[in-house]
Amino acid sequence: MDCHELKQIAAKCRLNALRMIRASGHGHMGGAFSCMDIVTALYYAEMNCDPADPYKADRDRLILSAGHKCLAQYSVLAEKGYFTKKYLDTYGALGTKLPGHPDMHKLPGIEANTGALGHGLAIALGMAMGIRLDKTDARVYVVMGDGELAEGSNWEAVAAAAHHKLTNLCVFVDFNGLQISGRVQDVMDFTPIEKRFASFGWNVITIDGNDMKQILAALESARKMQQKPTVIVANTIKAKGVPFAEDKAAYHFWSPDEEELAQAEMFIKAEAGLQEDK
Amino acid sequence: MIGNYEDPRKTFGAAVCQVGFDDERIVLLSADSGKSSGFGPFIEKCPERYFEFGIMEQTMTGAASGLATTGKIPVICAIAPFVTARNYEMFRNDVGYMRQNVKIVGRNGGITYSDLGSTHHSLDDFALAGMIPGVVVLFPQDPNEIREAVKAMLEHKGPVYMRIGNAKQENLFDGGFEIGKARLICQGKDVTLVTTGSTTAEAMKACKSLKTRGIFVEHLGIATIVPLDEKAILESAAKTGLVVVAEEHYEAGGLGSRVAELLACNGCSARIIRLAIPHDYAISGPYDEVMAYYGLDAKGIENGIKRKILTF
Repeated sequence: MDCHELKQIAAKCRLNALRMIRASGHGHMGGAFSCMDIVTALYYAEMNCDPADPYKADRDRLILSAGHKCLAQYSVLAEKGYFTKKYLDTYGALGTKLPGHPDMHKLPGIEANTGALGHGLAIALGMAMGIRLDKTDARVYVVMGDGELAEGSNWEAVAAAAHHKLTNLCVFVDFNGLQISGRVQDVMDFTPIEKRFASFGWNVITIDGNDMKQILAALESARKMQQKPTVIVANTIKAKGVPFAEDKAAYHFWSPDEEELAQAEMFIKAEAGLQEDK
Repeated sequence: MIGNYEDPRKTFGAAVCQVGFDDERIVLLSADSGKSSGFGPFIEKCPERYFEFGIMEQTMTGAASGLATTGKIPVICAIAPFVTARNYEMFRNDVGYMRQNVKIVGRNGGITYSDLGSTHHSLDDFALAGMIPGVVVLFPQDPNEIREAVKAMLEHKGPVYMRIGNAKQENLFDGGFEIGKARLICQGKDVTLVTTGSTTAEAMKACKSLKTRGIFVEHLGIATIVPLDEKAILESAAKTGLVVVAEEHYEAGGLGSRVAELLACNGCSARIIRLAIPHDYAISGPYDEVMAYYGLDAKGIENGIKRKILTF
């Protein structure tokens, strides 16, 4: 699948996310949109995964450590056929299978119950250990937030993954530079992120995380690394794809009116050259 | 053998190793705690299934959950407060909420590190672990029960927390452990005595002494705090009308609280007395003396019952 097609799928996934936000009236839009290209690339161009056999033993796994970005994962899983898109309209409703942070027991394709920050990497490294014991080629991917790096438990897991040489583990840091109360570097500065991971013994790659070509190249490079776990520091734009919301902390959590939603949809369709396809 | 004393940590470690050598699903995780948890032989024999994390209980717990998602049966063991309180959110979310088949064992539990200060005590572990939905909470009462409980917890599908102590324990029973079942240690008509883990041996001495004074105790030994054998407790309480719970835990949130709730919510009019550690930071000293200080040795339990019988 080429980058143009992937961009179009990512645009459809952003529309799926807007559909969920319309259903509930709100959602963690900013971070979901900043990592949407990464999550799309993983499911459509990188991971060994099959919506018809979502629990196959040798599958690659994606753990969304920043569980509040689940609009991205739900959107891509729905687009790929893990579950009916009708579920998207239940986001926020009583008894929904799509809670505001993902639950592995509610949907196929969800691998861990994240939401509390600083948990996903440790779970993922345990998975990577188990997979290595089983001698399969499966890989474990993690998407972390940048604000999430302030959780100390992450750095335990960063050390442990390097110590145990988990080369089947690949982490994206969705470095959109914003968290709920402002600029990440003002709230708690963890830059330069690359140097911190490198000092723990990780293979480090830096990319534009909204550029499909760079995402795919980084993933290919990570796959070839045989000595260390890989972190891909993905410079992204919060709320990517919706110009009036881009790079604004206020869109971390969004409660739009219908006019804003319609505008957002228009921008996304125009950018990707999508027709009305409802 | 009945009457023999064993180090519970060694008994536990040997029991885990015995099953783990042949069951390739079993993986052991250590937070710089493997050898002192009795995992030495496993480290030698199955190094590929042994994972050292250093002093990193949070990540060890999360990783245990991740390993369990791949079909492994992870067992983690370290000093009790560090695998219950320190890592609580990982225990609650990664193990509990994710419903993973992880076994968490808190050794040197309760107040057994009696002279090391409150940082090393776990007088709240039944409350913490027991508050997580779906977690089985065990506190075996003698070495034989530890062996049986290890086997049972590894066969049980789902998260389990087991507390073990440190002081040498006497073998009291020969078989009969079952998750969720109370052990009727002796029958009586005057008072129901409910004990768990470390207080059971001392309570058995108290029961014998009380019998010579004409007080007949019905003694229920509880190795499973969650799920509680409600039927056994309610039936005995209805018979005797007075329930005494003796445990190495805070008064609040432990077995005594669960029994009190059980009686109250089932319309049982039996009175309840909790013999436990007061809700404060505990005194330091030798273990036996600290337990006696809090009235949790044989004499203290006997006095606790006598006082109540006399004023009942």
